[in-house]
Amino acid sequence: MSPRITTAIAIALLFLAAAAGLRYAEGAGLIGADGARRALQILIGLGLAGYANLMPKRISGAPRSPLVERRTQAALRVGGWSLTLAGLTQAGLWAFAPLAVADPGSMIAVASALALTLGYALWAFAACRRVPDVPTAR
Amino acid sequence: MNKVFKALADPTRRRVLELLRQRPMTAGELSEQFAVSRPTMSAHFNVLREADLIDAHKQGTTITYRLKLSVLEDALLGFSQTFGIGNIAAPRPSKGDPS
Repeated sequence: MSPRITTAIAIALLFLAAAAGLRYAEGAGLIGADGARRALQILIGLGLAGYANLMPKRISGAPRSPLVERRTQAALRVGGWSLTLAGLTQAGLWAFAPLAVADPGSMIAVASALALTLGYALWAFAACRRVPDVPTAR
Repeated sequence: MNKVFKALADPTRRRVLELLRQRPMTAGELSEQFAVSRPTMSAHFNVLREADLIDAHKQGTTITYRLKLSVLEDALLGFSQTFGIGNIAAPRPSKGDPS
């Protein structure tokens, strides 16, 4: 099993354990229902930010044509930045904003970031397909 | 994280990262942009590679470098560039001294 899969499984288990812990704390009366919900949403926001932070680092294989490399790099940067900021926004809203603001605000932030990431990736893919793939100049 | 800070503290290495932001470049193409010897540039590349800020791909005798910055590292690079960290302390890398 690759380290990347192991790490992903470990993070998923951590999230599940945190959710179970929060549910237990809520059931035991240690925290209120709102507190448990906020804590879980903050955790999800930070998880998204942490994952997206590493997104631009995920390059692999031999370099392709300069255009493809440039577009790929730009798409990863746009996705990484937008999702990181969306994750931090979600965590910040659920930590400090009223529930009426945090709920729709975090959804709008994450949905916008996803739309931007996917939109830019599709545009970059289409731009690369319009020109022939020329190997990097040596 | 210490390696990242060390790598970003030098203006030459930051300039290398800025150049790689445009497109992947070979070691030769990058070296042409600086008035320092090739061994010095090679040492700079090693520091960047050890910090995992660039990716090196060797094909034959040519090494192609690609940018490999996380969002946090990208932000740190922008911060260092804005405030010119290391510009006064290390104005120009001398031959054989990459840091």
